[in-house]
Amino acid sequence: MAERALEGIRIVECGHLVSAAYAAKLMADMGAEVIKIEEPAGGDQARRRGPYPGHVPHPEKSGLFLYLNTNKYGVTLDLRQAAGQSLFHRLIKDADVLIHNYHPTEMAGLGLDYTTLEKINSRLVMTSIAPFGLSGPHKDYQATDLTLWNAGGVAYLNGGGPGTDDMPPLKTFGQQAGYQAGINAGIATLGALFARLASNEGQHVEISAQECLLSILELTFEFFPYMGLTTSRLGQKPIQPLDFLECRDGWIFLCCVEEHQWRNFVELMGSPEWAGEEIFADRLNRGANWDALQPLLQDWIKDQSVDDLYHKAQSRRVPIAPVSTMGDLFNNAHLKARGFFATIDHPATGPLQYPGALYKFSESPWDLRRPAPLLGQHNEEIYGGRLGISPSALAELQASQAI
Amino acid sequence: MARLPLEGIRIADFTWVWAGPFCTLQLAHLGAEVIRIETATRPCITRLLPPWPDSKPGVNRSGYFNQYNQGKRSLTLNLKQPEALTIAKQLVAKSDIVTENFAGGVMDRLGLGYETLKQLRSDIIMISLSGYGVTGPEKEYISYGPAQVPMSGMSSLTGYKGWRPMHVGISYGDPNGGLHGAFAVLCALMYRARTGKGQYIDLSQWETSTAMVAEGLLDHGMNGTQPERDGNRDAHMAPHGVFRCAGHDQWVSLAARNDDEWQQLCVLIGRPELAIDPRFATLVARKQNEDELEAILSAWTSTRSPQAVTEQLQAARIPAAPSMSNKDLATDPHLNSRSIFVHHEHPEVGVKQHVGIPWQMSKTSLAVRHPAPTLGQDTDYVLHEILGYSATDISALRERQVLS
Repeated sequence: MAERALEGIRIVECGHLVSAAYAAKLMADMGAEVIKIEEPAGGDQARRRGPYPGHVPHPEKSGLFLYLNTNKYGVTLDLRQAAGQSLFHRLIKDADVLIHNYHPTEMAGLGLDYTTLEKINSRLVMTSIAPFGLSGPHKDYQATDLTLWNAGGVAYLNGGGPGTDDMPPLKTFGQQAGYQAGINAGIATLGALFARLASNEGQHVEISAQECLLSILELTFEFFPYMGLTTSRLGQKPIQPLDFLECRDGWIFLCCVEEHQWRNFVELMGSPEWAGEEIFADRLNRGANWDALQPLLQDWIKDQSVDDLYHKAQSRRVPIAPVSTMGDLFNNAHLKARGFFATIDHPATGPLQYPGALYKFSESPWDLRRPAPLLGQHNEEIYGGRLGISPSALAELQASQAI
Repeated sequence: MARLPLEGIRIADFTWVWAGPFCTLQLAHLGAEVIRIETATRPCITRLLPPWPDSKPGVNRSGYFNQYNQGKRSLTLNLKQPEALTIAKQLVAKSDIVTENFAGGVMDRLGLGYETLKQLRSDIIMISLSGYGVTGPEKEYISYGPAQVPMSGMSSLTGYKGWRPMHVGISYGDPNGGLHGAFAVLCALMYRARTGKGQYIDLSQWETSTAMVAEGLLDHGMNGTQPERDGNRDAHMAPHGVFRCAGHDQWVSLAARNDDEWQQLCVLIGRPELAIDPRFATLVARKQNEDELEAILSAWTSTRSPQAVTEQLQAARIPAAPSMSNKDLATDPHLNSRSIFVHHEHPEVGVKQHVGIPWQMSKTSLAVRHPAPTLGQDTDYVLHEILGYSATDISALRERQVLS
């Protein structure tokens, strides 16, 4: 049995929705032990977002929660109660990492105070994920994934376009700001653990979700410092084809950014006469005249099948991609051959397919140890078994809703 | 001064364009010495793309390259020459990590595949970032960054209600793949610290992108269907969207997470009666009448600036934020009060504002240490200081076009 990369690292995680849960999941998947703390009344808000089997809400069957919390232990704990804080401190004493995404305005009330926790465990790395960071005029601003995607500058670059400039900047599906803050938190947390190898001390790590998004704006951000220009989603793209086109059974995304790619695609289309027009002679011309070129391309492509066109064009070294649906992804031969989807059985939902390993390690691969926890599933194992709390004391804690 | 997390770690960086360099940028942020292996005969495409000061191109003038290669070093080698390959291998032997994102098979054909490199240094950690991964029936296919968003399923789930699939606005698969790559390398370093063993990591950007639509995949697995494209709306919150403000292309995003926030919003916009209006009293009702709801909000925001709307809503603790442009971000008082922006002096473009590190540590002082390297800037340093070549040797190599 191959050893796990993060074997021996103990993590306590708390918060809601995506960013902290994803950071902890990344580490759990590579072998860290993660104890996820949820509030006794209702637990993680991710339990209330779904998707659900049959579209019927159920706190133990939310797809978002199940994906984000695979490979973790789950306990309930009310951090606002003294008895809860006491248990929390006992968990922290033995932990290497605490990761959370509670709002900066809530941290003090939940005992998420590094100065206090450092005294209990000087080797603790505490990672706080906040929408706008822990300092600055906007640090207390409230946020959702939508407002962060806009505050970080990504939304302004998307949507609209010729004929639809009056439509708003467009959000991407799901919880992308949460995922980006989460992966950054994973990197920074491991960084702090490396720092600890030399110093033997923990520290407080701060992640600003807004800044994480600011860091992924491709070449667009620098147009202002370098050229005084504002970049937005409006206007034509300089190079074409680099766009969506509709087939008879779905959509494809065609990328012909190099001249030889365009020539190969023209050949695939049977070298129609219009392709030889001067106004389509090179990629910049094709960009400038896309409104003339697009309908001609679309007219040929509408009769093609996605799968057929994809493989034919790729065999001619044209970078074309299917606009995959969820069904396409599950059925895809390449992803199946790579074993990308993992089937995970769960007591509430039964077996379901999930994205599995995000990277293949030759020595210390991803592996699956347990499905996402039911609410409070491991209370007895962790509080009783590990912390040695007696059954009667546990019953008391339960009665007072401290756990 | 506390030691940087990856101080003493050296990376032989064969990556180019965005995904790979974004991966190694994170490692540079943590203090690793990242040595880019480049060539003047085929400069990295990001060195050739805008923005450029005064609209004048130049391999050291690109804001794109300079942003994503801050804090790294540049060694130029003409890998078509056997002597250059020898130097590359010598560098690998003195490195902890090798990173690459070429098309499949390129490193092998150069004689720089993992099995060979492992002979040079048994605990080497190598990561390949590619579109499709190094195994599988489509591994020879070409993947460009922008294509990953549609391939991953994200486009089929993203778009205005009733409209076609849309993109994300950036080549999202690239930075997402790069970040997951950096995380993977750190995991491998942890493993090596405990066991002394290196390893090979195969990262497919198609896979890291697809993981970002997990909720859509789970929905299909549970129900055989996928969520319909619904613009900026959300199944669990209303109002939830982006609304036009006064001025050219000005927008504000906002969300009422529950009935309480909705009621407060009604008061804020001077329409307290809407709080008890049966059309909008519950989430279900607001979802049923969402077009009307949005029209009412739009009428209110359209005469105000995004900043004014944001300030008013945030004062009531309701989520809101302007849809920020690059200019808005560059001049934002909150961001400028923090340490995210970097202003190093670059030898060719001078001082330019760049985006630094989105993480802070209380005891370790993280900072971008220097601007992006000019092409071949560190060739002499690498050859002399790291590999022990004499000045005479280096001149001779240069004359033989090995170092171009």
